[in-house]
Amino acid sequence: MSDTSFPDAPRADAQDKVRGALRYAADDARPGMAHAALAVAAVARGTVWRIDAAAARAVPGVRLVLTHEDLGGVKPPGFIMGGGYGFQSIQPLTSPQVAYRGQPIALVVADSPEAAAEGARLVRADLAAEPHQVTLDTPEADIVAQADSPLPKPMFADVTVGDAAAALADAAIRIEAEFRHPAQHQSPIEMLSTVAEWRDGHLTVQEGTQNAEAIRHGLARQLEIEPARITVLSPSAGGGFGQKNSLQAHTVLAAEAARRLERPVKLVVSRAQVFHGGSFRPASRHRIRLGADAEGRMTALVHETDSQTSRHDLFPTQYTELSSRLYGIGNFRGRERLVRNDVQTPGYMRAPYEHPAAFAVESCVDELAYRLGRDPVALRLANDAAADPVTGRPYSSRHLAECLRRGAARFGWERRSMAPGSMRAADGALVGWGVAIGAYKAATAPAVARLRLLDDGTVTLGVGGHEMGQGMRTAIAAVLQRRLGVDPGRITVEIGSTGATPQHLTAGSWGTATVVPATDEACDALLRALDALPASRTPAERLRAAGRAFLEVEVSRRAPGQPEAVIGRLATGLPAAAGPAYPEFVSFSHVAHFVEVRVEPTTCRIRVPRIVSVADCGRVVSPRTAASQLRGGVVWGIGAALREVSEVDPRHGGFLNADLAEYVLPVHADIGTIEVEFVDEPDPRLNRPGVKGLGEVAMVGVAPAIANAVHHATGKRLRSLPIRVEDLL
Amino acid sequence: MDRTPDEPSDTPGAVSRRPLMIGAALAAAPLAPPGIAAPARAQDAGDGRLRVNLTVNGEARQLSLDPRASLLDTLREGLALTGAKKGCDHGQCGACTVHLDGRRVASCLTLAVQADGRAVTTIEGVAREDDELHPMQQAFIDHDALQCGYCTPGQIMAAIALVREGRAGSAEEIREYMSGNLCRCGAYAGILAAIQDAAPKMRGA
Ligand code: FES
Ligand code: FES
Repeated sequence: MSDTSFPDAPRADAQDKVRGALRYAADDARPGMAHAALAVAAVARGTVWRIDAAAARAVPGVRLVLTHEDLGGVKPPGFIMGGGYGFQSIQPLTSPQVAYRGQPIALVVADSPEAAAEGARLVRADLAAEPHQVTLDTPEADIVAQADSPLPKPMFADVTVGDAAAALADAAIRIEAEFRHPAQHQSPIEMLSTVAEWRDGHLTVQEGTQNAEAIRHGLARQLEIEPARITVLSPSAGGGFGQKNSLQAHTVLAAEAARRLERPVKLVVSRAQVFHGGSFRPASRHRIRLGADAEGRMTALVHETDSQTSRHDLFPTQYTELSSRLYGIGNFRGRERLVRNDVQTPGYMRAPYEHPAAFAVESCVDELAYRLGRDPVALRLANDAAADPVTGRPYSSRHLAECLRRGAARFGWERRSMAPGSMRAADGALVGWGVAIGAYKAATAPAVARLRLLDDGTVTLGVGGHEMGQGMRTAIAAVLQRRLGVDPGRITVEIGSTGATPQHLTAGSWGTATVVPATDEACDALLRALDALPASRTPAERLRAAGRAFLEVEVSRRAPGQPEAVIGRLATGLPAAAGPAYPEFVSFSHVAHFVEVRVEPTTCRIRVPRIVSVADCGRVVSPRTAASQLRGGVVWGIGAALREVSEVDPRHGGFLNADLAEYVLPVHADIGTIEVEFVDEPDPRLNRPGVKGLGEVAMVGVAPAIANAVHHATGKRLRSLPIRVEDLL
Repeated sequence: MDRTPDEPSDTPGAVSRRPLMIGAALAAAPLAPPGIAAPARAQDAGDGRLRVNLTVNGEARQLSLDPRASLLDTLREGLALTGAKKGCDHGQCGACTVHLDGRRVASCLTLAVQADGRAVTTIEGVAREDDELHPMQQAFIDHDALQCGYCTPGQIMAAIALVREGRAGSAEEIREYMSGNLCRCGAYAGILAAIQDAAPKMRGA
């Protein structure tokens, strides 16, 4: 199935989406629905010593107020990176402690959204504030060296290859620099929202998520009931980007309110509250030392990081997974540290480690090119890796050089003049052309796929995965169409809801490489089963000829090298993905970005009129949605480089710009031409269809390509994101 | 990257970041008591609720409303028209864009009682009688101008209004006048292409 490219096809759920007919969680609107709103703490750390909900309870239509005084019995969910299910280990409203500004302290439930909102505004709390720390630079910070922490090893051990110190000492050229990345928020347009309902002791939760099984098993833990008594429905999420990868803090509150009121409860967390109600990309600091010989062969790299975590959890980092493997550098030393702050636990946001790490490394590589007087594309090609530098194993596939060559040709890179400030547009704007590369692990999760063919020719495929806009339904349909010859109108894809097949977390760009091979193997099993039936023209006719109403097969699939025990983790909603290092090989997706910036000479306003991006994500199963995903990743890179920062005031804690006007996302007017292209070479060593991931690699390297282009335009090296006009004035 | 263009005052229908932010500031002020918030035509139903008459997607509806209710919540919770989405509830994202007497508004910033006696069109009401897609809807599919789809109803409503406002003249103009509608998935290139494709078809229709 990996032999030929897949044809262009429309997005499977596009019809419903353009009609406004697709149902997201909060679209459940029924008579009898109760509406909930949260009241939150206005101190950065402290204790609730008195909470007065009388005024809230007096609002007409308010039916229930929950505070820590009456939420008895609800247990903490456990931290997703510590054997649990929650984005953080603590559960608001189960104690008077306030660990961070914006932490929920009360839930108000009413007959209407208006009454709930008014009630929440009227909750009065007296809070005893305690000293707090909310930034990386805080004096006397509690800093945890990850290597010495209880975090599991070798997963979170420091990466060491060769002797970086010695190689650095011997290097003809040394680049040293420090980079800063701010906290940022994922900000999917669908806010955190839950509809919870109990019927005959069974809880049904509707919530847009990347991890329905974690919600189910986490709620079972929190409410101390059997997971079999919980169903989580998430057929479509309105974006996730890592924020929706686990059980949120508000979900159990909606469930508990629904239980007490004996009616369905809808809780849509307000946009301001989402900034504190879910995870965020932690602020990080990166110190890089890069050594090269006089010919430009990179010989040593040291990458030291500090990254925010919360007081109550260690959110681990893997920034050096990218830096140790982006090039074939023989001597590497990484060291990752976590800085404890009084914040909600940070978490995953698209390319969580790879994007900040690539910003640091790829900026230094560009600087090296200028120190050597060497073309930045040529320098990168000369330092490509032949094998994985950390394990010595071969790559299952690596087409980074191809990405660079194709991108350079399409962009017209040969017309670039090397000197900073040497290119101008007709209107006098400074023109800068920059390049950078990116990589992202090609991970795989275990999956169970169930495929059913009916005698009317319709096909239903259930597998563990979540649709959040990346196009998973479309990719699965493309496989079914190719393998079974069934047209899209006869395909039903059941993903994102618990109950049928186990729903593994969809994150880490392993979605396609998980569900496509599983679907492919389910097709094998079905075709084998059909072989036993009398021959006929189509599969449906064979069924009919055999007098069978349907045929159903189930396959279970693990990543290369995974033990059988991972299926148990899969069944209990725990993360169970493998990669990038598999027993026989190492797998990454790669990308090269070429960026043009224009800097207006007096105002120094930066525009990005043009980007060319070429990605290697193995075989592209759904060309149309993949192109959109790559463009979307580029838009994210533009946002990260030039716009997005979650502002923090050390005096007050929390995030200041907690809305969509002040947390500045890229808008239409910020986006110019984005040309994308795929190498589209299958990686059959990783899986038979030859697919790797795309969602995150798409973004990796965009920010440094922009920073390098700004340097090319202006001569300024900017090492702190986002880059702003004032940095150039 | 001019994200807050000075908008000519003769284009009240355009939704860009600046006017939306002004609107958001107003919305953040304490709500006025019902008697003041409600326009004269809305009838007090006697229980603190107001009786209003709207035309929604061509259908006359009489509703008894909480005067605090936004048009968005009224459409979604009261009429089960959930095509318009809530992405911020503050006029900052455009996901709730609907047409009020043919002009685009952020329905989260519009009190439902303000729509009394007026015509509301939502995404559910733009397809033709025979259920054939509006050219803008079809163009969004053809150019894959969406990913998660959550901003999509608002983008389409804004895009249809933008063409009618005569603001689809150039790529630059479209980008400016669509900048009140955020797409976190980053489908902007597809949306631009879809509008450029649908605009002549709409004019011809
Ligand atoms: S929900 Fe109305 S503009 Fe965001
Ligand atoms: S399609 Fe997801 S926000 Fe626009």
